[in-house]
Amino acid sequence: MTRWFFLLLMLLISTWYLTFTATRLDRLHHRVETSWANLDVLLQKRAAVALEIAHSDIADPASSVLLTAAAYQARDADIQNRSQAESGLSGALGLLLEDSEHLETAADSALLTELSALTDKIRVAIAIHTDAVARTQLVRGKFIVRLFRLAGTAPLPITYEFEADVL
Amino acid sequence: MLTRSLKIGIVCPYSWDTPGGVQNHIRDLAEFLIASGHEVSVLAPAIDESNLPNYVVHAGKPISIPYNGAVARVLFGPVAFARVRQWISQGDFDLLHLHEPAIPSISLLSCWAADGPMVGTFHAAAKRQKIIFAIGPILEPAIEKLSARIAVSEAARLTLTDHLDTDAIIIPNGIYASRYAHGRREEKWSGNTIGFIGRFEEPRKGLSVLVEALPVIARFAPDVKVFVAGPGDPDEVIESIDPQLRHRFEFLGKISEEEKADFMSSVSVYVAPNTGGESFGIILAEALAGGACVVASDIPAFDDLLGHGQFGALFESESPTELAKVVIELLRDKEKRQTLSAAGRTHAQKFDWAVVAQQIYSVYEMSIVGSEKVRLASDTRPWNRFLNKDDK
Repeated sequence: MTRWFFLLLMLLISTWYLTFTATRLDRLHHRVETSWANLDVLLQKRAAVALEIAHSDIADPASSVLLTAAAYQARDADIQNRSQAESGLSGALGLLLEDSEHLETAADSALLTELSALTDKIRVAIAIHTDAVARTQLVRGKFIVRLFRLAGTAPLPITYEFEADVL
Repeated sequence: MLTRSLKIGIVCPYSWDTPGGVQNHIRDLAEFLIASGHEVSVLAPAIDESNLPNYVVHAGKPISIPYNGAVARVLFGPVAFARVRQWISQGDFDLLHLHEPAIPSISLLSCWAADGPMVGTFHAAAKRQKIIFAIGPILEPAIEKLSARIAVSEAARLTLTDHLDTDAIIIPNGIYASRYAHGRREEKWSGNTIGFIGRFEEPRKGLSVLVEALPVIARFAPDVKVFVAGPGDPDEVIESIDPQLRHRFEFLGKISEEEKADFMSSVSVYVAPNTGGESFGIILAEALAGGACVVASDIPAFDDLLGHGQFGALFESESPTELAKVVIELLRDKEKRQTLSAAGRTHAQKFDWAVVAQQIYSVYEMSIVGSEKVRLASDTRPWNRFLNKDDK
């Protein structure tokens, strides 16, 4: 009798643990998706602002060409080349901003303020996204998760290497 | 600056009516957010229910437990858990901001009970403890629910990565820099003077280091005076001072915010000899904003805040001789004092609430995107969803 009771208890506990872990994993997958969508939107916005800067008086012709190329590359990059393209854009923007501090008219400084506000947000968004990805990978690596296929058909999230220091 | 009005729930783990850095931080943040047009509700335990501001919701009477080398007044247990759940389900919050969610308190309970956008701020800095092997696996799934983590300093971030293996965004504690910007220079506090503010009875505040350093300082600067401000009973400290030097110490008791600003503008050198247990050092930020020339022990939090000596002088922690050396050098060199305090004052603007709250708000914004409102986690559990299917 006791043995059956014990078995039942074990079964209940393991069921609870499995659903608990499945919920946890589901939440993590959801966060990976939403944080990526959010980051993607912000990066697109940044590319748009970069193009605007390229067409404004802030950029001299040479940097304008460089910036336009980088912005288009970032926009069109597929998922594998995305982080590299974005880093390229960060670099191009960094180069430009370094020596444009002295020439600021009202319209230009509005653009630059928008860019720096965007950069702050992107930094936070990157932190949230990379953290969600790392967490998900960690939990999915657990033996129990792999054994019971708790992740289902959700694809394993990919780590993006963002060079946060360039931003 | 703030584009959309949000409903924010903040959880304070410590008793609202005991003084402390976390409570001050939450009070200032809540008031700043309310002033910028957000709806804020703070859930906090309190000993006395009657004196709470209208944005604070009482969670119950706290219990005192020893934690991290001090007594913490926190609250947990089944009744508190029910209270937390009620607050969350009635609050209809866009976002929860939990403070110190890794210690046993209503913050951890909220983290456990809620589902949705949550931000956690980690204040404490502590050395790695063995106990974490036991409690880590329990905390991990809860801490993981936070969409973003904030650490108040590099020291707090390292504690977090050490203990729970997750990273955090560093956003410093805030001060109202403008309140300290216009302190008047009081004659009674100026001259060859050293200032100290804090609960001097606590050994970790390090007043004893300054007491031991004074004989040496007095030999080189015979007219030196030390002003100690802060709550506490000075008798015991006075007894520990060499009778010949007792007249050089003056205990001012607790001083008001305005007096603090005057104090910082008047004293020649402000000394913070803390021996540890400090994670950010808000008093140093205030001292810098008030234009004081700061001398601090080189514990990680202070070293970080003072830019490795760029915005204030550092000395080897717990070494009275090193402290004396640095103070004497500064008392003799007016120019160096002025350079340091000017650099410090500029640096302190980084800690102004206008800057800090904007950074915190960015994190809020990024956490909210794509998520629904905060609700109870139990509503979304699979079996409950399954059971409730028929109702819909």
